[in-house]
Amino acid sequence: MASKQAYKTEVWIDWCPGCGDYGIVAAMQKAFSELSLDPSNTVVVSGIGCSSKTPHYIYSNGVHTLHGRGITYATGIKLANPELTVVVNAGDGDLLGIGVAHFVALGRRNLDVTILLHDNQVYGLTKGQASPTLGRGEKTKSLPAPNIQDPVNPIALALASGYTFIARGYALWIDHLKDLIKAAIKHKGAALIDILQPCVTYNDIYTADYYKGKLYKLEEDPKWDPIVSSNTIDEIEDKMSKAMSKALEWDPKIPVGIFYANPHIDTLEDRIAKRNQLFTVKPPARQPIARNNGEPLIGPEEFKKIFSDYIIKVVG
Amino acid sequence: MREEALVVVGGAQGSGIETSALILASALARQGYGVLSNREYYSNIVGRHSYIHLKASATEIPRSLSYPVNVVACIDAESIFTHFDDLADGGFLVYDTGVSRTRLIQIASMEPETRASISGKLKSLGAGDTVESLVSTLESMFKVKPVGLGFNSILDVLAQKTGMSKSEVQRFRSSIIVGAIAGLMDLDQNALNYAVDRRFGRRPKLAEINKMLILGVMDDVKESYGAPLKLENPKLGLEELLLVSGNDIVAMGKIVGGLRYQAYYPITPATDESTFHETFESLKVDGESLGSIVVVQTEDEIAAVNSAIGAALAGVRASTSTSGPGFSLMVEGLGWAGMNEVPVVVTYYQRGGPSTGMPTRGSQSDLLFTMFASHGEFPRVVVASGDHLEAFYDSIWAFNVAEKYQVPVIHLIDKFLANMTATAPLPEWSRVKIERGTTIIEVNSKGSSWKRFDKSDTISPRPVLGSGVVTWYTGDEHNEWGHITEDPRNRLEMYEKRWKKMELMDSEIPEEERAALYGGGDEDFLLIGWGSVKGPALDALRRLESKGYRGAFLQLRVFHPFPSKLVSKVLSSFDPERVIDVENNIMGQAALSVAMNTGFKVRKYILKWTGRPIYEMELASGIIDVLEGGKSRVVLSYGK
Repeated sequence: MASKQAYKTEVWIDWCPGCGDYGIVAAMQKAFSELSLDPSNTVVVSGIGCSSKTPHYIYSNGVHTLHGRGITYATGIKLANPELTVVVNAGDGDLLGIGVAHFVALGRRNLDVTILLHDNQVYGLTKGQASPTLGRGEKTKSLPAPNIQDPVNPIALALASGYTFIARGYALWIDHLKDLIKAAIKHKGAALIDILQPCVTYNDIYTADYYKGKLYKLEEDPKWDPIVSSNTIDEIEDKMSKAMSKALEWDPKIPVGIFYANPHIDTLEDRIAKRNQLFTVKPPARQPIARNNGEPLIGPEEFKKIFSDYIIKVVG
Repeated sequence: MREEALVVVGGAQGSGIETSALILASALARQGYGVLSNREYYSNIVGRHSYIHLKASATEIPRSLSYPVNVVACIDAESIFTHFDDLADGGFLVYDTGVSRTRLIQIASMEPETRASISGKLKSLGAGDTVESLVSTLESMFKVKPVGLGFNSILDVLAQKTGMSKSEVQRFRSSIIVGAIAGLMDLDQNALNYAVDRRFGRRPKLAEINKMLILGVMDDVKESYGAPLKLENPKLGLEELLLVSGNDIVAMGKIVGGLRYQAYYPITPATDESTFHETFESLKVDGESLGSIVVVQTEDEIAAVNSAIGAALAGVRASTSTSGPGFSLMVEGLGWAGMNEVPVVVTYYQRGGPSTGMPTRGSQSDLLFTMFASHGEFPRVVVASGDHLEAFYDSIWAFNVAEKYQVPVIHLIDKFLANMTATAPLPEWSRVKIERGTTIIEVNSKGSSWKRFDKSDTISPRPVLGSGVVTWYTGDEHNEWGHITEDPRNRLEMYEKRWKKMELMDSEIPEEERAALYGGGDEDFLLIGWGSVKGPALDALRRLESKGYRGAFLQLRVFHPFPSKLVSKVLSSFDPERVIDVENNIMGQAALSVAMNTGFKVRKYILKWTGRPIYEMELASGIIDVLEGGKSRVVLSYGK
C-alpha cells in the first residue's frame, strides 16, 4: 500500500479554508492508497468549477475538461483503454445542470467509471448562484431572491438512469467516504457517489452544523441490504424501490451509505467485447495500426478482403 | 454507339430508386464503365420526390454531372412533371402509362412553389396539365421518344408467374425502370444478374424475381426501341473498381488510417460513415480480427467530440463525423483539443444552412466557420477533399497530421461528395503511410510525472494516458506540467509555443499537397474552387477548350495552414479580371480566405446556393458570361 502522501501534488490547493472539498480529496487519496492504485494507470477527470480543480491536487493522471463534459472525456478514455481506472470529479451544476445529458447516458451504458458528485447546492466559483440541487424557496447567501426552481434528486436520477452503484457520502466523514470510494472503484460499472459538501462561503443553509444532527448511516440498520445478489427481476425491483424510498428521505433525517448496487449488469466494455473479444484482450490504445515500416496494418490484401462488397471485378 | 449516357431516375422516397441506381451502377461497373451517380432527396422517410442523376462513360471515370440527360425514367407522375425539361431533345421518357390521366393538381406531395413553376412551364409550352398531354407535347415539340410501359400489366404477369399477390408485386415497380434503362443501353445480361445478386445476394428468392422482371422488360424495350443508348466498349482499362459513396470511402480511409474510436450523433449526411465503421468494427480478415473499432452513438454531438478527444488522450486514433448543426455543438470541445494539443479528427459533411437549413441538400457554406470556430486562438488544420479518392487519402493524412503536430484536424466534405456514388480505381498504396509523430504508447520510466507541455521544443513528446507516466491536462492556460497558471511570462511562451505549430506545419507540409493547379499557368483565365467543385470545374474547362477558351483550375485543399506562396504565385500569372471564384455559397468564402492570406481580392464569382450540385454545363456557360458578358457575379440555379 502506497502512502496517502504519495497521491499528493505540489500544487497549492486554492479552495476556501474549511471547504468540504478538502475532505473529498483526502478521502480519495486514502482510497487510492488503500487500493494501491498505480497513478500512471489512474485518471482523475473533471469538469469546471471549484471541485473540478481536484485532478491538479492528486498524483495520478489528471484531465481537467469543460463545464459539464467530464463524463464524455472519461467515456473516450475508458473505451480507448479499459485497463485504466477512471474517476470523475465534478459539481452539482456541472453534472446535473449543463452536463445532465451525459450523467443520464452514463447510466444507460454502465461504463466502468466512478462519479464523485460534489453536491453543495450552489455554483461556488461564479459566486453562489443556485445549483440544480438547491430546493425551491431556499435563499442561500448571495441569491437576491429565493430559488424558484425545484431541485433534482441525484440518487433518484441515477436509479432511473441505470447506474449500478449508487451511494451518498459526506465530505467531512472522511473515512466513511473513503470506504464508499473504494467500493465504487471496485464495482464493475457506472458508480455514483453523491457527496454532500458544505460550501462555507456561499451556502449558509446546508452547513456542517445543518448536517450534524441529520445524517445517519444506512448500514447501521442490520437489515439494510442494498446489493443485488440473485439478480432476479423481483429482487432488482425490490431493491430499487427501497433505494428510491431512501432517496426521498431528507427531513428530518438524511441517509448516507450505499443505496443500491447491482454487480450483475454487463458493463459497456462487456457489451463491446461480446462483439469483438480483441477489445478486452488488447485495449484499442495498444493495438498496432501500422507495420514497422509505416505501412498500414490494413494493407492492399486486407483492404480487398475486408471491403470485398465494395469492389467490382470487371468482366469485359 | 455513344461515349457516355446521362440518366435521371425519379420516384417517391422509399419507392426503391436507390436500389435501381445501385443495380444500374453495379452492372455498368461490372462491364468496365465509369459511373458517377448523385442522389437528391427530401428530409422525409416516404412519399416526397427523390431522384438519381447518373452518368456512365466508356472513356473515363466521370468527374461531374450535367444536363440535359438522355433518359428520364419515372416511377410516378410527379417525376414526369418535375423532370420533363431535364430531357434532351430526342431523349427517352420512360413512364408508367397507368398515370397518363394524372393531372398536375392531383399530385399532393408536390410543394406549391414547385407546382406553380411547373404549371407555368406547361402553359408556355401549350401543354395541358395531364401526363398524357405533356407527353404528346414533348413528342411533337422536342422529338422526345416516350417509352410508355403498363406497369400494372407487367406486375400482373409477375404476380401470375410468382404467385405473389397484387399488393406484394407493387414493390417491384423500380425494377421495371431498371429493365427499361438496361434495354435502352443494351446492358449485358450477366452484368445485370451480377448486379442484382450483389444487391439481393442474401435473399436469393428476391434476386430471382428481380432478375426475371428486369430481363423481361429489358428484352421488350430492346426489341421495340433497338438499344439506342448503347455505350461503346469501355476503355478505362481497369480490372477492378471500387463502387463507393463519399461516406463509404472516407470510412475506408479512416479504417486504413488506423481508426480505433468513432463517436457520432445521428445527422444527415454524415451518419452513413459511422454506420460503415460499425459494420466493419472487427476488421475481420480470414476470420481473424485485426483490431477493434469502438463505435459509440452518443447522447449528443458534444459528447461525440469530447469523448473522441478523451480517446485520443488515451492513445487511439479517434474521430467524429457530423454536419453543420452538430459541429455548432462541438466547437467548445474543439478549443479544448487545441489548448491541450490533442490529435482529434472531425469529418464535417456540409449541408445547407443556416440553422436546419436544407438538411438533405448540399453546400460549401461552412468553410469560414471551421476556420475560426471556437474562442481564443489555437492551431488547427482544415482540409477539403475534391473527390472520392482524395477523400480516401485525406482521411489518412488527417490522422497523420493530427498526431505529428498534435492539433485538431477538420476534414471538410460536402453533401454532394458524401452522397455521390462513384466508381474509383483501388488506392495506390505507395501513397499510404502511417505517421504518428511523437506519440508514445509506452514509456520505460514507470510512475514518474512527465512535462506533457515541455516548452523546449514546439512539439512536446506525447506519452498517452496509460503509457506509464503521470500527466495532467487542463483547458486553463497551463505550465509545462499541465497545471493551471496565469503567470504572464508562461502565458507569453506557452501561447506562442502552441501557435508556432501553425508555422511549423506551414514550413513542413509541402504547398503542393495543400493546393493543386490544373493547367500550366499560361492559360487565359483561372478558376478557383474547392471540394466537389473540382469535378465540374475540370469538365467545364475541357468543354470550353473545345470552343477555344483556355483556362486553368486552382484547387484549394488546405485552408489552415494556407498555401500562400503557391496561391500567390499562381494568381500573379493571371489577369486579375480573369480569375473566377466558383463555390456553393453566397459569400465566396474560399475567395475571402485567399484575400486574407495573399492580399488578392477576387473580382469575379460564379456561385450557387440552391443546395444542388454545380453542373458542368451551367458552370461552362457561367464562365462565358464572365469572360464575354462582362458579368462579375453569376448565380447558378439549375436542378430540381
